[in-house]
Amino acid sequence: MDLFSGLIHGFSVALTPINLLFGFAGAVIGTIIGILPGLGPLGTMALLLSLTYGLDPTAGMILFAGIYFGAMYGGSTTSILLNIPGEAASVVTVIEGYQMARRGRAGAALAVAAVGSFVAGTISLIGLSFLAPTLAMAALRFGPPEYLAVALVGLVIMSRLTGGDLPKSLLMIALGLALGTVGMETVAGYMRYTFKQPLLAQGIDFLPVAMGLFGISEVLVTAEEPLRNMQLKKVRFRELWPTLVEWKRSFWPIIRGSFIGFFVGLVPGPSPVIASMVSYSTESKLDKSGEFGKGAIEGVAGPEAANNSAVGGAYVPLMALGIPFTPAMAVVMAVLLINGINPGPLLMTEKPDLFWGVIASMYIGNFMLLVFNLPLVGVFASIIRTPLYLLMPIVLLLCLVGVYSVNNSLLDIWLMIGFGLLGYLLRRLKYDLAPLVLALVLGPMMERSFREAMMISRGDLSVFLSRPISGTILLVGAIVLAVPPLIGWIKTLLRRTA
Amino acid sequence: MKLGSIVFAGLILAVGLVYEGMALYMPRGSLSYPGPGFFPLVIGAFLIVTALGCILQEVLPRKTGERPASSSLSSQDSAAPGDRNVKKTFQLMALMLGYALVLKPLGFLISICAFLVVAIRIFGYRRWLPALAMAAVIVAVSYVSFVLWLKVPLPMGILEEVIG
Repeated sequence: MDLFSGLIHGFSVALTPINLLFGFAGAVIGTIIGILPGLGPLGTMALLLSLTYGLDPTAGMILFAGIYFGAMYGGSTTSILLNIPGEAASVVTVIEGYQMARRGRAGAALAVAAVGSFVAGTISLIGLSFLAPTLAMAALRFGPPEYLAVALVGLVIMSRLTGGDLPKSLLMIALGLALGTVGMETVAGYMRYTFKQPLLAQGIDFLPVAMGLFGISEVLVTAEEPLRNMQLKKVRFRELWPTLVEWKRSFWPIIRGSFIGFFVGLVPGPSPVIASMVSYSTESKLDKSGEFGKGAIEGVAGPEAANNSAVGGAYVPLMALGIPFTPAMAVVMAVLLINGINPGPLLMTEKPDLFWGVIASMYIGNFMLLVFNLPLVGVFASIIRTPLYLLMPIVLLLCLVGVYSVNNSLLDIWLMIGFGLLGYLLRRLKYDLAPLVLALVLGPMMERSFREAMMISRGDLSVFLSRPISGTILLVGAIVLAVPPLIGWIKTLLRRTA
Repeated sequence: MKLGSIVFAGLILAVGLVYEGMALYMPRGSLSYPGPGFFPLVIGAFLIVTALGCILQEVLPRKTGERPASSSLSSQDSAAPGDRNVKKTFQLMALMLGYALVLKPLGFLISICAFLVVAIRIFGYRRWLPALAMAAVIVAVSYVSFVLWLKVPLPMGILEEVIG
């Protein structure tokens, strides 16, 4: 199926009433959680994961795509109107967005953020539509050494890009890989680390781990935050139109942000957050007006475009290779796994309804979100007045019932609470959760690939370096790992000699 | 957080040692045919080395001008440590553990209703009766959606015979 017939087929799937409904629900939920500070898209998707069990996986994927994109749109609303980022990828929008609001240009900032998000979302979806099938075709030539190399380098790059401390990130990777070995080993059926508990034979289920690490821990962290006085600035519909000068100033930042976001999205790491920061830094360097820090519209347009575009980019490795590069994508992948679908390069040919349906639904969802975030922005912004004492207990109820409903198992509730506590502690100790959860997801695949590669090569470790694709990928990983400390060492050496 | 980080890394080190010890008893196979114990052995060693690395990093004096270990892009903690209400976290953890303990004997309806009333109070709403009313409405909606509509077999406990 070529690109255009694939997309046409995808639209025929996405436009069915049930899929439209899930796309709409995802966009609404995403916008709401984007607006609400505290609960982010990752936590929400993790919390809703159990509800996708037994659901048509296409509908589940459409729902989650809507949530992820919606959160990127909604995040800007509170950043601009309240000086509080709705979620992590909108942190930099606060800087210029709130200053614009103070000058009476909140409407213009919201409009530019929404239109910029729409343009960037569309550009990244075009990129996803072209790149994912091409990469999937190329990946058909991948063997076990290539898969191991991609997963390994993905983890290495992630440990460097999250901005956290390297030993701590590596510890999280080790812990995730160790957790991934619990359960019955697939080749010989050997029980590992199950402590004779039959419930652990299937391994540690991803669902309670993700719900605990991201959902419960996020609620616990939110509960600790001091209550804020939410004074919403009112925006009238007629104020939502930026001036011609503001449009002109926003045009190139939106385009640049779209491309920065898409390419950052392809790289392992919390891509929407990094993309918005890279875009903000680029725009501030290119600024000639001297308005940065005082409400420059470029500082809203660029980052808001970039964080949306990064979402499209992040879907590429998942849809093409079946390898998630971000924790959010790991949760999206879980929708497929819990419904018995193994994502990979064959997804496009074996499940065209799902592959193209999800991509087409993103185009539709993106349009829905433009409507939610322009004329309906006031309605959604008022959601922030929902009291936490009502919202958070409902969220916890959804977790406790949701996690039980999948296997009707109390063990899953205990696991979720345990991982919730672990996630909370890790956040407080400034550990990144992303490497842990990615290593947990990628670990079993890495072990399988390693063992297959060793059997094929009869124990020759050089197989990873002698094959051109895996060799190149591993070289990139080695450069990413070695260059920053090397530069630091050279700088110190130069400083000493000077 | 320095002591906390050392204690945590120490715990992981202990877990790593136990993990590695157990891996030693698993069949390792050979490099050309790795057994089920091969990968855990490598992971265990990695776990021990990284945990030791984290401990050393906290213990050894940091060079001046070096970035603090705690800076992280994905960190979302906005409040200063002094502003945080840690008591709420402990209360919520205890509440969830309590819920998990009484779910089977008391059943979903009673446990979740009690859970909601207490949770609403923990999140700052102090009046009992309105909290109970809110909890009752949420329980009714969740019973209709989860039990009657989605057919989730939630335990009914002591209400099993009453509900039928």
